[in-house]
Amino acid sequence: MRAGFVIRKLLGALSTLAFVVVFNFFLFRIVNPNPVDSMFRGRNLTREQLDQITRKFNLDGSKWDQFVGYVQQLLRGDLGLSFKGNRPVATVIGEALWPTVLLVGTSTLLSMIGITIGYRAGWRRGSRFDTASTSFSMVTYSMPEFWVGMVFLGFFSAKLGWFPVGGLEDPGSNATGVAKYLDQLHHMVLPATVLAIAYVGEYMIVARSAMIETLREDYLQLARAKGMREEEVRRRHAVPNARLPVVSLSAINFGFIFSGAIAVETIFSWPGIGQATFLAVRGPDLPMLQGLFLLISATVIVANLIADLLYGKLDPRVLGR
Amino acid sequence: MTPKLWVGLLATAAIGAMAAGAAGSVQAGTTDTVTLTVGLTQDIDSPNVTVGYTVAAYEFWNLQYATLTDKAADDFAIIPGLAESWEGSDDGLTYTYTLREGLKWSDGEPLTADDVVFTVNTSRDQAWFNHSSVTANLTATALDERTVEIVSAVPDPKLPTMDVYILPEHIWAGPAADDITTYDALEGVGSGPFTLKEWKPGQEWTVVANPNYWQGEPAIDQIVFRLYTEGGAMVAALENGELDAANDIPAALFEGLASDDIVTVAGAQGGFTELAMNGMAGGLGDGHPALLDLDVRHAVAMAIDRDALFERVALGIGLPLTVLGVSPLQEWLPEIPEDQRLGYDPAAANALLDAGGYLDTDGDDVREMPDGSQSLIFRYAERSEGTQGAAVRELITGWLTEVGIATEVSVFDDTQLGTAVGAGEYDLFVWGWTPFVDPDPMLSYFTCGQLTTDVESLGYNDANWCSEEYDALYEQQNQELDRDKRIALVHEMITLFHNESTYVVLYHDADTQAYRTDRFEGWLQQPADTGPVIFTNSSPTYFNLAPIDGGGGDDDGGMSTGLLIAIIIGVLIVVVGGGLLVMRSRAGREERE
Amino acid sequence: MTATTDEVLLASPRSIRWARRRASAADAWRRLRRDRLAMAALFVLLGFIVMALIAPLVSDRADFNAINTGDNPTNRPPTGTFILGTDSLGRSVALQVMWGARISLAVGLAATVLMIGIGVVVGLAAGFFGGWIDALLMRITDWFMVIPFLPLAIVLATILERGVGTIVLVIGITSWPSTARLVRSQVLSVRERLYVDRARALGAGRLHIVGRHILPNVTPLILANTTLAVPIAILTETTLSFLGLGDPTQTSWGGLLESAGTTAVKAGYWWQYLPPGIGIVMVVLAFTVIGRALEEVLDPRLRER
Repeated sequence: MRAGFVIRKLLGALSTLAFVVVFNFFLFRIVNPNPVDSMFRGRNLTREQLDQITRKFNLDGSKWDQFVGYVQQLLRGDLGLSFKGNRPVATVIGEALWPTVLLVGTSTLLSMIGITIGYRAGWRRGSRFDTASTSFSMVTYSMPEFWVGMVFLGFFSAKLGWFPVGGLEDPGSNATGVAKYLDQLHHMVLPATVLAIAYVGEYMIVARSAMIETLREDYLQLARAKGMREEEVRRRHAVPNARLPVVSLSAINFGFIFSGAIAVETIFSWPGIGQATFLAVRGPDLPMLQGLFLLISATVIVANLIADLLYGKLDPRVLGR
Repeated sequence: MTPKLWVGLLATAAIGAMAAGAAGSVQAGTTDTVTLTVGLTQDIDSPNVTVGYTVAAYEFWNLQYATLTDKAADDFAIIPGLAESWEGSDDGLTYTYTLREGLKWSDGEPLTADDVVFTVNTSRDQAWFNHSSVTANLTATALDERTVEIVSAVPDPKLPTMDVYILPEHIWAGPAADDITTYDALEGVGSGPFTLKEWKPGQEWTVVANPNYWQGEPAIDQIVFRLYTEGGAMVAALENGELDAANDIPAALFEGLASDDIVTVAGAQGGFTELAMNGMAGGLGDGHPALLDLDVRHAVAMAIDRDALFERVALGIGLPLTVLGVSPLQEWLPEIPEDQRLGYDPAAANALLDAGGYLDTDGDDVREMPDGSQSLIFRYAERSEGTQGAAVRELITGWLTEVGIATEVSVFDDTQLGTAVGAGEYDLFVWGWTPFVDPDPMLSYFTCGQLTTDVESLGYNDANWCSEEYDALYEQQNQELDRDKRIALVHEMITLFHNESTYVVLYHDADTQAYRTDRFEGWLQQPADTGPVIFTNSSPTYFNLAPIDGGGGDDDGGMSTGLLIAIIIGVLIVVVGGGLLVMRSRAGREERE
Repeated sequence: MTATTDEVLLASPRSIRWARRRASAADAWRRLRRDRLAMAALFVLLGFIVMALIAPLVSDRADFNAINTGDNPTNRPPTGTFILGTDSLGRSVALQVMWGARISLAVGLAATVLMIGIGVVVGLAAGFFGGWIDALLMRITDWFMVIPFLPLAIVLATILERGVGTIVLVIGITSWPSTARLVRSQVLSVRERLYVDRARALGAGRLHIVGRHILPNVTPLILANTTLAVPIAILTETTLSFLGLGDPTQTSWGGLLESAGTTAVKAGYWWQYLPPGIGIVMVVLAFTVIGRALEEVLDPRLRER
């Protein structure tokens, strides 16, 4: 990969990140110009104490001063204090991070089976396999994930009792090591399945179109002319080239790792970023929302950057632009 | 991503699912800890007793901190707590408490009079949120290690009840010198039956038995309070044994819940839901002028069918209530004379409004002010928390249109609502309260002193109403030591408040709870027969509970089926996957030849 | 159908243009008709639209207002007059689903119009003017594209007042970037075509070029894109309502799912949460199928086989 390409992409990502920081700050300041009042509602604080707190939370001075202060805080890793019990937002987010990565990472991997199905469907366009898998994908793609979650919860959990009704682990569990992970896995089966169903359709459809596009290319004819079997033609030439848009989609989807799970985590009481967002919306816990929003945006930016770089590596044509 | 990789991944997933099914049985045998698990829908907002104010937080403090005097489970009567005895002076202004011998904090430090003095005086000086309504006029002095003298500046009928949480000085003195509200309070040192082990916000909090508790060590080793965002999920967890008890069960699921193993309790603690009208006494904001007219407020009260609300929204669970619920003890609540009651009577409401000159002159079915200046359109603020807000709003706004009053609905979260109310920018809202045992705090909320006159510091008076007569009565009962006289004064206050109709008390909020009978016994209702079992005023149940038959492991009845299914699926996947793999390699071999 | 030589000689440029457009539209329609799945989807969609439109004719909103349903049985499964059962306040689920269709469809369509409107304007401007305008607009588009759209929607919905207008605004503002991109690339490719150069050589003004040449060629793709954008708008409205950010005084399918919640799931009141969900799936699926069919029919690239 050419250095110029990489540098350009990096700069692009950084400038987008900068935009997000600015946008984030002003959006929440417009909404809540004086957070101190909301936070200390009902408490009898003297004027002095309020001023002190205002200074501590960097709320005095002009908007520009406040913004600079905000950026300084960010660089220190300080995302402010949540309205809920004054806990540092960064701490709360930190605790919620792993459950979400675990859940959405697993379900994304599971849903990637859609890629294989999509390739096959594209290769055999118009076949029964194609029609069946395309229909299945479109139907699942049209379902709201939380609805699927509700239905699964109602049937497999509430009615049949096969899986726990929610949460990450059994309450009061003292398990460590392997037993602990197994417990978490057991709790994860339903939500991960629901999310996988939600995503699988997208992968399938993209992979299928990518395959169809590739099929039209001439080099496949060349390979066939050289005497390669269909099977090999598909494996050695079609698939690698059809990979590009799928790679791109995977990387970007990974960026939506945090936002996609909001409704599902809520239904299954899964203590991740999604549930944290839902609870923050209920306050509204504005500092929390602000921090979450920044985190999610930053993740998407990074994922997009990786996708662009990967795409550049895999497709030599892109670099020329 | 080749198909081979796929099969590999799926096989791993299958094995994982199988193993996960086994996880339950593995776990059940590993610990002998007796754990009680309770489900709730509200989290602690902060474990710091000078910051938090949610019901869940109170439950936690009831467990971690003992108080000088305690309350009997059956009738809230005063009984010894940390103090084994006390003596009052003749004028009732001084009480001397003698602490028990050998009291210790959970970390082993001795609990002495100094801790009491520290708590009382500092909470008074720093106006601690949850303490100052009791300690505002008190001064404590340590006469010796085990004796504390508490002097009140004014006659105080609440004494000798001292139910403020006593904090360990050796932990809290440091934070108190600085800014006590920033202390995270996670150290778990207390004098109650259980102390904090861990708080996972948004998930659960765990307390462990305190070996130094003055009544002895609890029969339970630990209690886990588990948070559920979805009431239905919580009920399912109770039914399949993941929980031993649950609070705040959705009304729709309450009826069908009772079974051989589960007992339901509709606990009466005096909590209620009210419709509040903007009394505009604080001088802030822009309430609708029609609400200043007493007849209009009476008409609004009479337009609402409270019985229907109680039956259809609260599903008739609990006891009916039409006056300000200042205490769970019924003696404090007056009976409103028949001719002053504001029962459901839309005809009378219409007549009242007609007589007042609020006529619909432009035929749009909405009345206007007598001078024609504006229509009777009231802003209605609905709370997004809880499940009943939407139902209540639909019914109330519907009934109001039947008497010619239109409404504009906005939904607020508690923080936003608190701000809007404080700033006076509302006409109607629906909210609720849960009182303490002594009526004083609840009554104090509606004094003129609690009005919000400056948005920088919000007061409790969300009726936005002020009456000198009420205030005078309040001062009197606040210092009236004769109980009967005090009751009469309180009755007068409540009746006055009712007739002014700034609050329309809609119905009593029962605490819908349920507990399992197969693992623990000794569930106490506070007060007896009518109260809830958990989240009560002083939470006596937990210390009283003991495991049945010494059992204590987790019950995973449902998992064996899950295990079976997981195994079947796993085997299927492995077989199919393996088959595909085999077919592929055979084909591949053919090609190469 | 071909015109006679006389007709061609006597026809004005405008009527020729319209004739050509009618012909290609008719051709597209004919090809679409052959796609049986798309026809079925169209039929389903029309069914829902009809249901939404006739709702006020066969019932009154007062029929499911809680103050009037006090005598109805509560939480009753489908029986007799209540073909989809009742909810916890005795309201008919069937009526609510019918009226809910109005909101869900209206919001979906309005949000899509807003989304497409913004996207088209931005895409056209960027593609046509080029230069620094293009660069600036594309930067902005990239920025908006990167901000994850559900969290942004949630944040905006939280801080603005709850209501139908807010939801429409929120969805429209967060979803326009992909349309803008699409329109821009179409504009770029059309711009290269010969007849645009010829038109400019002949002295045609910018507006003329945009209106006569670019827009008509871009429109088919916008149409297909729109049809695919509606499902996104509807699903977003559903999710936002489910999270409690919708308009509380309006009945929408997402709102119905929210009030049913896990309580209905636990209690086994399947008629309270299955019908709205199925309705959503069917409408979204219908739009998606039609959209993809339109794409195949209208996109010249996909037509080659």
